[in-house]
Amino acid sequence: MSTTFKKRNIFLWLLALAFITPIITLFFLSFSKNWQFPAILPKQFTLENWRYLFFSGGNIAPSFVISLVIALSVATFSTLFGFIASKYIAYHKFRSKLLMLTYFPFALSPVIFALCLKFFFIKMSLTGNVEGIILAQLIIAFPYSVIFFTGFWSQKIKQYEDLVATLGGTTSYAFRKIVMPIAKSLILVCFFQCFLISWFEFGLTSIIGYGKVETLTIKVYQFITEANIFYAALSCCLLILPPVILLWFNKKFIIQQAK
Amino acid sequence: MFKKPINIISFLLLFVFAILPLVLGFGFAVAYSFGLIGVLNKGFTLENWLALFENNDVVISFIYSAWLAIASLTISVVVSMAIAINFNKKFSKGIYSYLVYMPLAFPSIVAAFFFAQFLGNAGILSRICYQLGIIDKIQSFPNLINDQYSIGIIIAQFFLSLPFFTLLYTGLYQTERIDDYTKLANSLGAKNRQSIFRISIPILFKKSFPNIVLYFIFKIGAYEVPLLLGRSSPETVSVLAVRKLQKFNLYDIPQGYAIAVIYTIIILSLLMLVLKTNKNEYDI
Repeated sequence: MSTTFKKRNIFLWLLALAFITPIITLFFLSFSKNWQFPAILPKQFTLENWRYLFFSGGNIAPSFVISLVIALSVATFSTLFGFIASKYIAYHKFRSKLLMLTYFPFALSPVIFALCLKFFFIKMSLTGNVEGIILAQLIIAFPYSVIFFTGFWSQKIKQYEDLVATLGGTTSYAFRKIVMPIAKSLILVCFFQCFLISWFEFGLTSIIGYGKVETLTIKVYQFITEANIFYAALSCCLLILPPVILLWFNKKFIIQQAK
Repeated sequence: MFKKPINIISFLLLFVFAILPLVLGFGFAVAYSFGLIGVLNKGFTLENWLALFENNDVVISFIYSAWLAIASLTISVVVSMAIAINFNKKFSKGIYSYLVYMPLAFPSIVAAFFFAQFLGNAGILSRICYQLGIIDKIQSFPNLINDQYSIGIIIAQFFLSLPFFTLLYTGLYQTERIDDYTKLANSLGAKNRQSIFRISIPILFKKSFPNIVLYFIFKIGAYEVPLLLGRSSPETVSVLAVRKLQKFNLYDIPQGYAIAVIYTIIILSLLMLVLKTNKNEYDI
């Protein structure tokens, strides 16, 4: 075995280790108790943390459901609205200027953006509730969705639609039979990405939610500040589990996007 | 402009969810920072802006944020380029093509928490070092989180951005047919090293430059990782703005909004520059 071959393999093993260590560590910690220095492994492995947080007043299940409701709502609305608005931008004569305007809110730090908008959310009674967080996250996810779909509305799609119209088909027929079948996989990917934007969101949620709406990311932060690493690890596991599963299933679509 | 009702709906969506929040948010921050609105403000004044620049905190904060973004991005770009050039086939299919997605499933706050547990003084790395006899007590382990060189933040941000650049470069490696170019160069007598440094890297870097700058723009505003793994001084822009705007001193609020104004102007100017110079690279 040559030295170069060995080096390449070591590099690959290190990479694999770097990718899987975080997940394994977090799962280990979520089942742990009594993890004192210098022991590498905890003294005790237990289901107690999971049992407490789910069944004995730990309130993690409601947080999981709230996060899920918010993420699904944001993903649904932003994908739908983005798909509609992107067509308008894509075929507009000021396409590049409109697209630039769309990029602006997406590029800003969500937490700073939220601080600037907090006053208006207070005036509309949209702070400290789920509706307010959904609206605030839409302001971040909607631009992403528009940018994502603008590339889809190419001249080729327009020509297909024109062809249907020439052959006597209605706009709705062209949409149902031509546009939707082509866009289906992209819509799925966009939905998934917007779900993740919302699912991962912390800064904006903490500002607009005032800490009253306890999403999973807010819970993680609470546990970290309380120095309760086992509960924090458990919440982290719940946060990364859905994305891991979704990523696994959607890898094919994402790779197509990346290309 | 609005030949069809759907165009009116589209424009309204764009206005309500993208343009209006930006105008309102920025307008509010500008007005507050100049004393035009706000509980303790008494009319137009430059006092808040002058007070902001009385010390170097803001300038240092912007430089620090930029430095963190550049440091983590540089490592990400170098490592992912190395992966794309050396292991393109392995990362295109098979187990590695799945593993590379793992960090994408990590929210920033989870990554920050993990690295706090991994790199901290009582963390996993420190325990391994102790068991191997490299250190003899907990204090002997170097500070890798909340440290003066921000090593923890840089590593966490590198971890979060690695899959993005790896996917980008492995994709570019194939679409730009770099393999064909390097084979051609090798057949004309170029050494491996020459074809990497004169063909592969320049093509990959040039093609990915707009993405690198866009990623830099996003990373300047990073909040969760510096909040958990950083020190109280210097602070990143987001952490500093939140501290000024959310804490108890009401006189700090106008300064917090002034920081938000400066941040917005810098980010939007950078973005305009990138988008104007790369007119064909707008789409995600």
